[in-house]
Amino acid sequence: MAHSDIGSQLVNICSMLLLVTTFAIVSQRRLSACVDLFALQSVFLAVTAALVAFLTGIHHIYVAALLTIVIKAIIIPLILKRVIERLNVTRELVLNINIPASLLICGGLVILALSVTQPIKELGFLLTKDSLAISLAIILIGFFTMISRRKAVTQVVGFLVVENGIFLGATAAAYGMPLIVELGVFFDVLVAALIIGIFTHRLQDTFDSVDVSKLTGMKE
Amino acid sequence: MNFNLFSLIHGNFLIILVLYGAGMIIPFFFPRQPRFQNLIAHGAAIAASTAGVVLGVLGLFADSPPVFYSLSTLPLLSIQFRLDTLSSFFILVISLSGVPVSLYATGYVREFEGRYPMGVLGSLYNAFLLSMILVIMADNGFLFLILWEVMSLVSYFLVVTEHEKAESRYAGFFYFVMTHVGTAFIMICFLLFYQENGSFNFEAFRSSGLVMPQAIQALVFLTALVGFGTKAGIVPLHVWLPYAHPAAPSHVSALMSGVMIKTAIYGLIRVYFDFLGGQFPWWWGFTILVVGAVSALLGVMYALMEHDLKSLLAYHSVENIGIILLGIGAGMIFQSYGLSHLAALGLLAGLYHTINHAMFKGLLFLGAGSLLYSTHTRNMEEYGGLVRHMPWTAFFFLIGAVSISGLPPGNGFVSEWLIFQSLFLSFQIPDLLMKIFLPIGAAMLALTGALAMACFAKAFGISFLAMPRSHHAKQAVEVSLVMRIGMGIMAAYCVILGLATMWIIPLLDRVITPFTHISIAEKVISGRGWTIEPMGVTFASVSTPLLALVIVFLILATLLLSLLLGGWLRKRFYKTWGCGLNLKPRNEYTSTGFSQPIRQVFSTIYRPTVKLETEMMAESRYFAKRMRFELTFQPVFQKYLYDPVVRFFLAVADRFRVIQAGSLHLYLSYIFLTLVALLLWTTL
Repeated sequence: MAHSDIGSQLVNICSMLLLVTTFAIVSQRRLSACVDLFALQSVFLAVTAALVAFLTGIHHIYVAALLTIVIKAIIIPLILKRVIERLNVTRELVLNINIPASLLICGGLVILALSVTQPIKELGFLLTKDSLAISLAIILIGFFTMISRRKAVTQVVGFLVVENGIFLGATAAAYGMPLIVELGVFFDVLVAALIIGIFTHRLQDTFDSVDVSKLTGMKE
Repeated sequence: MNFNLFSLIHGNFLIILVLYGAGMIIPFFFPRQPRFQNLIAHGAAIAASTAGVVLGVLGLFADSPPVFYSLSTLPLLSIQFRLDTLSSFFILVISLSGVPVSLYATGYVREFEGRYPMGVLGSLYNAFLLSMILVIMADNGFLFLILWEVMSLVSYFLVVTEHEKAESRYAGFFYFVMTHVGTAFIMICFLLFYQENGSFNFEAFRSSGLVMPQAIQALVFLTALVGFGTKAGIVPLHVWLPYAHPAAPSHVSALMSGVMIKTAIYGLIRVYFDFLGGQFPWWWGFTILVVGAVSALLGVMYALMEHDLKSLLAYHSVENIGIILLGIGAGMIFQSYGLSHLAALGLLAGLYHTINHAMFKGLLFLGAGSLLYSTHTRNMEEYGGLVRHMPWTAFFFLIGAVSISGLPPGNGFVSEWLIFQSLFLSFQIPDLLMKIFLPIGAAMLALTGALAMACFAKAFGISFLAMPRSHHAKQAVEVSLVMRIGMGIMAAYCVILGLATMWIIPLLDRVITPFTHISIAEKVISGRGWTIEPMGVTFASVSTPLLALVIVFLILATLLLSLLLGGWLRKRFYKTWGCGLNLKPRNEYTSTGFSQPIRQVFSTIYRPTVKLETEMMAESRYFAKRMRFELTFQPVFQKYLYDPVVRFFLAVADRFRVIQAGSLHLYLSYIFLTLVALLLWTTL
């Protein structure tokens, strides 16, 4: 019992670290730092997944952890870095909502996530049950990032954070999805990152900016 | 069941998958050699269809339906195929047409060489055939829907092959919309089954179909009718057929019209007789009967007014689907009154007409394709005199025309005769209403048959006889040997299906026995095996081989008599007497002229508008210099059914445009706020 208690504590710590990185992303103004933070978050996610795999003995979660490292912590950050370099948009972000306000809203979202998952947590018996609230919080914050930021690259980061949150949720609530689904999701994320990368280039070509609010001009 | 037979069927299924797969993929490895791509793609289709024929035959004789590949990696979707006798029958229909059509295609697609990517065309063609076979075999509702969508999408891409023509794009779009409306209804139908016991497996559908509340059953009946009916082309959901079928390349039209719309008939029988166990109130069968009668009659009436040969054939598909539904509907009515022998007879007649229509309609579309290939036009008014340039095509087309008109010895005769019989036998129903209505159905079928004959007298006469009406028709040459062989095989099917009734009826009986729980083959086929007599020889009986013999005998006797009475044939070639005028192609009976009396009689239905502009000579107003004749029909269904629906949706869309401001952030906020609001709502 002690073994799984410690395990459960470790899983909780790791998922807390995920949440902390999410907040860091929200407070970060520099694009390349955002991408670095995302890579770090993915590493934490992989560690969490590996921990769950170790504690439960479900081996295919190891595969998912490995894929997380390869795709989310290495390949996608590289793609995004290249996009940033080529477009020369390293500087500042134009924010819809300023950073202190964003952080406050994110805090509210965490409280919402905790209160929503409370009844589920009471029924739960998995050693990862506490992570569910955190995963929901990460999903909401990621979503909020997509809304509050205007550069296409940050939107991608927001999208990927949402994805990380979903992955954490799946691991926490159900000890992972069937492997085929996870493979499909990884593929989807990779393709999405590629497509959005290309899309950002086109945006730059057409509008001389990667500000997505300029897209309004494409209506009609 | 016999293990050897199972492994044989299993192996056969794998061969089919591999062959069609090869036909889909290999052409892309040779992008520079269109001729080779053509041979590989259609060669694979021929081989796979041949294997499909074997699969269908084996499936008919399997004692219990083999099930294979219960792969399940996703919830609800299990990749599982099942080959019962009904599936075997439809696979037989698909594959039997697949062989000659693919053979024909090797010649026909020559026309597309260099203009369109041959690899894509060949690959899609194989995908189309494969998707139809898999749809028929799917044993899971989810899988069925996915494959159904694949089939619809692949056929959409085939319809828009000639995508540079606005007409093709419009046809494709129309088809695309209609088929998705249909799929939506099929989805609703399957979801109704699903909510009964939470599984999409057909096995579960079967058990839940029996215990459903009556209201849900009625809903299933209606959604299946609309959903599958859209694909089948029942009136008033038929509007896409006359656009989509002519736009597709002719070998594809042959498959779409002959085979693809039959997958809808399969779906209807599967849902009504299999899932719902053949237990239904009388009004179901009655509805099917009415839909069938209306489709048959309106289909043939609109066909009569067409000058585009392929549109004409497309309308005949509406008609024949109607005839098939008349048989099935009669069967369903009998089933409701517990007359299982007659129910089996009606269903058997419907299925017989299904395979017959696949063959003669396939043949006619191939014939129309040959005309298009040689003259580069689909307009009948520009044909004429083609019997001299294209004797083989003319001969095969004539066989198809005889068959579709329901004349012996063509195959259409047998199945229509059987449907007539099952409608006449309605006097055994204890309900007076049905006793009255079924014979009315028979009367409408009779009228349909007569109009179909008029229509094909027109189609054949205007296209092949008299003098060429255009430059194109004068220049026409007979099509290549493979195309003639393709049509020849189809024609042979028609004749065999018409003559070998005593062997075909027992096979069809095997198909329906699992659903009607009764075998009627021995009752229908008389002792010596040459005659079919649905209710014993006293009521009605017919023997197609003898009938064919009588026809041959009569023709020979007529010849002999004329020789005896009139002496040996004296041939004298002279111009047709034209009252002293020089007869020119302009003096010929036009397609419009031919159908004029019928247009007059049924003008309430056609609502024709005639515009006649006459330009008089300057010297006298009694001599016309030039006349312009324009004839348009009111598209009743488009005007009163489709246009209001489209207008409604456009108006609603206009209202909703306000929230579509075009800002990405706004859209994201919508989703986000909805999510947060819902989460808050659950916690409160």
